Amino acid sequence: MKRQTRRKLFSVARYVLLSMWLIVATFPTYWMVATSFKLPEQWLAWPPVWFPSPPTLKNYIAVWTGTPIMATGALLPEINIDVFRALMNSIVIAGGSTLLSVAIGLLLAYGVSRYQVLPEGRLFNLLILRMMPPIVIAIPLVIWYSTLKLLDTWHGLIIIYTITTLPYSVWMIKSFIDEVPEEMEQAAQLLGASQVQAIVKIVVPLIRSGVVATCMFILILTWSEYLLGLVMTAGEAQTLPVQLSKFEGTQEGRLFGLQAALSIGVTIPLIIIGILIHKHLVRGFSFGMIRRQ
Amino acid sequence: MPGGDPGPGASASPGLAFLVWKKMAQATMVRRKGGFLRWWALTPLVLALLFMIPVLLLQIYLSLHQWTAYLGPWWTSDFVGLDLFWQVLTEDRFLRAIARSFVFAGTSTLLSVLIGFGLAYLLQSPFPGRGFYYMFFIIPMLTVPVVVGYNFQMLLYQSGPVNHILSLLVPGEVRISWLGEAVPAFASLVFIETWNWTPFVMIIMLAGLVSMPKEPVEAARVLGASRRQIFFYVTLPLMKPVLVLVIILRFLEALAEFPKFWTVTQGGPGTFTETIPVYLYLTSWDYFNVSKAAAMSYVILLVVGTIIYIAIRLLLKQKRSLDTMFTRSGG
Repeated sequence: MKRQTRRKLFSVARYVLLSMWLIVATFPTYWMVATSFKLPEQWLAWPPVWFPSPPTLKNYIAVWTGTPIMATGALLPEINIDVFRALMNSIVIAGGSTLLSVAIGLLLAYGVSRYQVLPEGRLFNLLILRMMPPIVIAIPLVIWYSTLKLLDTWHGLIIIYTITTLPYSVWMIKSFIDEVPEEMEQAAQLLGASQVQAIVKIVVPLIRSGVVATCMFILILTWSEYLLGLVMTAGEAQTLPVQLSKFEGTQEGRLFGLQAALSIGVTIPLIIIGILIHKHLVRGFSFGMIRRQ
Repeated sequence: MPGGDPGPGASASPGLAFLVWKKMAQATMVRRKGGFLRWWALTPLVLALLFMIPVLLLQIYLSLHQWTAYLGPWWTSDFVGLDLFWQVLTEDRFLRAIARSFVFAGTSTLLSVLIGFGLAYLLQSPFPGRGFYYMFFIIPMLTVPVVVGYNFQMLLYQSGPVNHILSLLVPGEVRISWLGEAVPAFASLVFIETWNWTPFVMIIMLAGLVSMPKEPVEAARVLGASRRQIFFYVTLPLMKPVLVLVIILRFLEALAEFPKFWTVTQGGPGTFTETIPVYLYLTSWDYFNVSKAAAMSYVILLVVGTIIYIAIRLLLKQKRSLDTMFTRSGG
């Protein structure tokens, strides 16, 4: 009897605590969504406007078409940003570096997993690439890039993002390959398949979903990268997060609504991708050391 | 090919020879494929490292020379030896930035590990609504850091929602200038970092808790241990490798955190929220003191490098136990 009431109490307490954190965890995102639908007068109002009324799409239209927005009769300062170019840059750079990083990671992971081309301990040192704060090498990197004429170009950013995400892709893919028993490949070869056939017909189908998850995971990292994108671009190859910081003008005349409208465009793809691969997020963030839940 | 065509009588021996040759070829092919793969697998990695070597050399060069960007190309700058290092190491602002970075990383790691572990503990056994909570809890982690920064700027704005909620809770009107005063600004940033990365701790802890061997807990329960005893003497020790992993990754990421600082306070008010990455950025891109920044980078490279060396050692040691833990339950 006593045990039962205690269990019930625990269950109630669990819901209460989790719901409290739910509010903390989702409120900022809610506020962003709400602000993006607010008229300019409501962005900075006191008391704050909790629900945009009437909801408006003006912010979205202003951000994506570049038309200035009217606020209480006065035109808000115009923002000269080319959102579509930034979007294009983001897609090409994040997509390109993701594919490259995963391709290299796949080769390296297979080599290490099956042929020990590098001892595992040595491969572990690759994590240095990830753990070192990027700002530490930013200055010489920019000078090196300017001598190579790679500054402010797509391929320049693709190269550096590929290098910095390599530890994640190698370790994540390796954890998937390690789960495919080597005996399966050997059995296929005994039955007359060539090495390449064994890889293509046995390993690839088994790790396909893992590779897709890795791609999405790396995409999350490259899409949201800010610092290197900031220091290595000047206007041609600026990505969305870098463009987003353009909204920072004077402290008082903040364009909260527009900023929120663009923020949603930047964030929504990642949230969708993240929820799609939520089972593999653990593996990605722990460099394959922790597998499934 | 009339000459080369073997007659029907001679077909046996060349056929055998061919078979032997084929077998041998297959054997070497397999070995060669490994070699081929070895070559292909390592080439990109070697190229990447070669690509980064000039960067490190340039870093050394810059930290030993006083280069001013607008006076001429970098190779014409004056050699100053270790002057810059001396200048950097005796600079109050730099040392404070280092201390601040460590305080920031330490407190945000501690908070996110406590909350994340708590959430994982509450979510570990199935109950209705578990998936719902999980989905919403991981959203902060998936938000682009720059967006996180701007979001909190909206929330912490002096006449923004946070102050309004506080005004409703306590008597009187709360008008805290969250980002305009030293201590609130720093505390806000610690909170933002915690908010952003608690899901990371949570998902990893949850994976750890769920795949933890069940027998020890069962045994302890049979032996009459209380819930608290089980937690401190069975669960926690078993979770040690996962905890080590989470703390290391979180701490190092927090040390390197830049986007949120840059979007929320830019190191202000004054220099009160200036951490290493912010100060480095300001020195090289606002004050254009590239050489000094290079010297600072080297100091940090050494400090963080030492931490990373220890961290990688620790992780490798824990990896073994993690691997056994997760292959057992992985299935």
